[in-house]
Amino acid sequence: MPRATAILRHREEVVSGHYLLTLDCPEVAKAAQPGQFVHLRIGDGTDPLLRRPFSILLAQPETGEVQILVRTVGRGTGIIATHDEGVAYDLLGPLGNGWEAPAGGEDVVLVAGGIGVAPLIFFADGLRLMERQPYVRSIFGAANQEALVCWTEFAARCDEFTAVTEDGSAGETGLVTDVLAPELERDRPQHVYACGPDGMLAAVARICRDAGVPCYVSMEQWMGCGVGACLGCAVPASAGGYVRVCADGPVFDATEIDWERMKRR
Amino acid sequence: MTVTCPDLSVEIAGLHLQNPVMSASGTFGYGVEYEPYLDLSQLGAIVTKAVTLEPREGNPQPRVRETPAGMLNAIGLQNPGAEVFIDDKLPALQRFGVPVIVNISGRSVEEFARLAEMLSIDGVDALEVNISCPNVQEEGMTFGVDCDMTGRLTEAVCAATDLPVIVKLSPNVTDITVIARAAEQAGADALSLINTLLGMSIDVERRLPHLGNVTGGLSGPAVRPVAVRMIYEVARAVDLPLIGMGGVMNAGDALELILAGATGVAVGTANFVEPAAMHQVIDGIAAYCRRHDVARIADLVGAVAADQA
Repeated sequence: MPRATAILRHREEVVSGHYLLTLDCPEVAKAAQPGQFVHLRIGDGTDPLLRRPFSILLAQPETGEVQILVRTVGRGTGIIATHDEGVAYDLLGPLGNGWEAPAGGEDVVLVAGGIGVAPLIFFADGLRLMERQPYVRSIFGAANQEALVCWTEFAARCDEFTAVTEDGSAGETGLVTDVLAPELERDRPQHVYACGPDGMLAAVARICRDAGVPCYVSMEQWMGCGVGACLGCAVPASAGGYVRVCADGPVFDATEIDWERMKRR
Repeated sequence: MTVTCPDLSVEIAGLHLQNPVMSASGTFGYGVEYEPYLDLSQLGAIVTKAVTLEPREGNPQPRVRETPAGMLNAIGLQNPGAEVFIDDKLPALQRFGVPVIVNISGRSVEEFARLAEMLSIDGVDALEVNISCPNVQEEGMTFGVDCDMTGRLTEAVCAATDLPVIVKLSPNVTDITVIARAAEQAGADALSLINTLLGMSIDVERRLPHLGNVTGGLSGPAVRPVAVRMIYEVARAVDLPLIGMGGVMNAGDALELILAGATGVAVGTANFVEPAAMHQVIDGIAAYCRRHDVARIADLVGAVAADQA
């Protein structure tokens, strides 16, 4: 059963409003694939009511530890930010499909935006363990230097690393897409993998489509059940209708998503 | 005498349920999504997500938003349509050996009648007529807020099927008992209530509605007192069995609805929070019966001593 109790072993505020939680959860640590998420219940009351989905940042089967990155955006994540070591969470997971690893030996580019770095750290970690390691170039963008959360963990797992900030406080100035387009031209990779805000993913998908590079995105959406029943996390599909982020994703071939119909977020 | 093995079974519109607890339409998919988390054969019944004649895409995202002790949703009846439901979804529901109640929704009286006809097949044990979905234009709630429409629709569905017909009522009305009576007079075999309360929430930073559909249906513990009150009122107004729903999270909540007058209880939003919620409700009801020496849960239906308040 994709369900377990996780004990909070360590909570670290990596930068203001961003918490790296280390959970003791052997079941999930053993089963988790990069790109999958856990659906975590906060307390046993009715406010906050719904579970919160978090991408897995790292899972270590040997130690039974699972790490997630929490950004405080509202009531639920605000409560998590106050939790002390020893707190037990009821969680569903690992859920979702995760990224399919490339065959090996390829040239790949990972594109992260803000907290979207979390599943890409796990993915990059897995690529390094492959027999025929792909050559991994990564681009990490955020509003400013501080928001390049966990960048050292990301950079350490990649062969090339470029930071981009909107205010120029670290790395290049601009958006990840300003770096991605010339990067694809300079040396065309076999695959691009991206996670970040919808606007960024839409732009990355367009650039990859124009460059003829397959692109796989991990999406985020408000969720109800997390198991594919409520259809609350649906996003528009290019084939018409909607696909469920929780059960059909969160990872999609970027061509499966109708970016024109993706509204706002 | 001490009750050790209370009888939790109930009869609703000719259906025999091993216990009063079932899924609320729209919160449990087509059952199989929850198979990894609970034994569906232990449920009183399974109520499916709404089925429409043609496939429906549903509403733009975001479709859900948490609110204090509740949530707003505006899914928009996304479903693959009746034909696909019958071919692909219905067979899998047979494995569990519990009654299958199919929730139907349509844009016109004719569409509802046609659906009722199509679904009058082996494997479907009753129909729940959704006259109360707040998230689609020109249907659903349009019927459920009007007596004449409720009556005509109920009559048409009853004429189109031999299955028990359960009419699902909207709380978004001035007097729910008037609608309940209209459904009863038109031939409904049972009523279910309440559907979600029409609501809205706004992102003040961006000055935008949280939901892509602007408004949505409010569910969860926040609405439970409204459900209890409406079940209490309808139970006194009609002579039909009621299926109560509205923010049931645990056995105590379910018993509240039963004492108010519900014979069956549906669990909805709680499934998202706790996938095994229905099991916990069933076990909790049994424990309550043992603790209070209640031999049959059916004896508690409408048993609130309101006159002694």
